[in-house]
Amino acid sequence: MSVSISAAAVGYFGFNYAILDTNRRFAARETKTMLLDRSASERRSKESALAALYDEYYDKIARYIFVRLGDRAEAEDLAGEVFLKALESLGSYKERGVPMQAWLFRIAHNLVVDHFRRAAKRKTVPIDDLQVASDIDPQEAAEASIEVARISRALDQLTPAQRQTIELRFFGELSSEEAGQVMKKGAGAVRELQCAAIRTLRKLLYEGKPSEGGE
Amino acid sequence: MIRTFDTILDECVDRVNRGEKIEDCLAGYPEHAEELEPLLGTMFDTRSAYNFRPSAERKLAARQQFNAALGERERERAGRRPLVPRLLAWPAWAGAAAALAIVLIVYFGVSQGGIPIVPGPQPNPEGNFAFLISDEVNAIGDFQSLEVTVSKIGLLLGGNESQWIEIDPEVKTVDLTLLPGEKAQEIWRGNITRGQYTELFIYVENVKGVLLDGNTTTDVKLPSNKLRMSKPFSVTGDAVTSFIYDITVVEAGKSGKYNLKPQIGESGADQKFEKVEPPGQGDGPPKGSSKKEKDKDKEALSHGADNEQTLPTPRGKGAGARR
Repeated sequence: MSVSISAAAVGYFGFNYAILDTNRRFAARETKTMLLDRSASERRSKESALAALYDEYYDKIARYIFVRLGDRAEAEDLAGEVFLKALESLGSYKERGVPMQAWLFRIAHNLVVDHFRRAAKRKTVPIDDLQVASDIDPQEAAEASIEVARISRALDQLTPAQRQTIELRFFGELSSEEAGQVMKKGAGAVRELQCAAIRTLRKLLYEGKPSEGGE
Repeated sequence: MIRTFDTILDECVDRVNRGEKIEDCLAGYPEHAEELEPLLGTMFDTRSAYNFRPSAERKLAARQQFNAALGERERERAGRRPLVPRLLAWPAWAGAAAALAIVLIVYFGVSQGGIPIVPGPQPNPEGNFAFLISDEVNAIGDFQSLEVTVSKIGLLLGGNESQWIEIDPEVKTVDLTLLPGEKAQEIWRGNITRGQYTELFIYVENVKGVLLDGNTTTDVKLPSNKLRMSKPFSVTGDAVTSFIYDITVVEAGKSGKYNLKPQIGESGADQKFEKVEPPGQGDGPPKGSSKKEKDKDKEALSHGADNEQTLPTPRGKGAGARR
C-alpha cells in the first residue's frame, strides 16, 4: 500500500515538475522572442531616423567632403557611401551617445581619412585639378579657382582641430554642440577653436600672416 | 549671464548658417559689431568660395541606392529573421506546421523577402509585356562598346498576393553604345500575370567596356549586381506594356573610372522609345515590324499603355551622340 502511495506521489510530483519545466522553457523562449522583436523594432526606428536625415544632410556632408577632397564627383559618391555605411553600422549606433547627424559626420570624416590613406598622399584641393561649377563663364571659373586655392592654402595652415571646426561649422552647418560631439570635445572648446580659427583665417587671407595663438 | 565673445560669434555663425544676413547679426550686437564684422566677412568669403551643391541627379541616384539597401534589410528581416527565433519558441506541433509550410513554399516556389517567386514565364512574341534596355547619354561617348549582361529580370506583382516573377532574358547581352537616348533594345517579351507591378530588378552578371581607342578595356563599377528600381507599372493584357529600363554610365570625376547606374527618371512603362534590333538581326524583318506586331503596338498606343514611338523625336536631354 505504502509503496503504491509513494509511486503515485512521485508520479504526481514528477508530472507537475515536467509541466513547470515546460512552462519555464516556453517562458524563456518567449522572452528571447520578445527581445528579438524589440531589437528589430529599435533597428527599424533607427533606420527611419537615418532615412529622415538623408535629404537635409546629404548636401551638407557632400560639401564637407568636397572641402577636404576638392573633387565634386568623389564628394558626391562618398556622401552616398556615408549613408550606406551608417545603415550597415546602425547596430553600433547608440542614441544616447551622439545625435545621428553628428555620427554621420564622424563616418564622413573616417571615409575621407580612408580615402587619403588609399591615395597615399594628402590631397588638399589641388589647384590644377580644382573643379568649379561648369555653368559659369571661363573667366569667372578661373577667378573662382584662384579664390578657392587661396582659401584652401589658408585652411591648410590652421591646426587640424581648427580646420575641422571650420569644416563642420561652415560647410557641415553643425551646431557647436554637434561639432563637439563629432570631435569629442565640449561645445565651449569648439567655440574657442572657431574664434581662433576665424581670426587666423582673417589674418592669412587679408593680411598675409597668421595670428598669434592657436588651439 | 555674461556672454563671451566666442559665444556671440558662435551665435552669429549659426544665424548666417540659417541664412540670415551679416548686417542683421551685427545689429543684434552693436557693442561687438566692429570686432564681429571682419570675422563674419571671413566666414562668408570662405563659405562662398566653396559654393558647391551636389547635382540633383547624383543625389537621387545615391538616394535610390540607399532606399534599395533599406528595402533589402527590411525584406531580410521580414523573410529571414523571425524564422529561427520563432521556430525555437514554438511547440513541436508548430514546428511541424512550419516545416510543412517550408516544404510547400519550396515545392511551389522559393521566396524573396517573404514573397514567393513564381517560375519565369516563357517568352512569347505575342506577349503582353516587353522589357527593354536603354541608355541615357552621359559618358557613353567614351566607349567603343559597353556590353552589359543581364542574367535575370525580377518583377514584383503587388496587391494582396504579392509575388516575384523572375524572367530569363531572351537576349542576355546588350551593347549600351547602340542604345543612346530613346533607342532601346528588347530583351524579353512574353505573357505575364495582369496586374499592378510595384518594383523590379535586373541582375547584371557582367559588364565589359572597351574605350574609344579600341584597345583599352575598363572596369565599370556597379552599385550592386542587383539593380533594383521602384517604378510602378500595370499590365492590363489588352495592350502590350513595354517597360524601358534605362541604365547610364557616368565617369567618376576625372578619374577614368566609370560607374553604371539605373536611371529611374528615364525608366518606366510611359517612356517614349525607338526600338533597336540586336546586332546581326537588323537586316531581317525587325521583331516589331510584322503587321500583327504593328497592329498590337498601335492598339497599345491607343490604350496609352505602350509607348513605342513611330516617329523618332529626340529626347529633351539628347539622343544619339549628344552629351
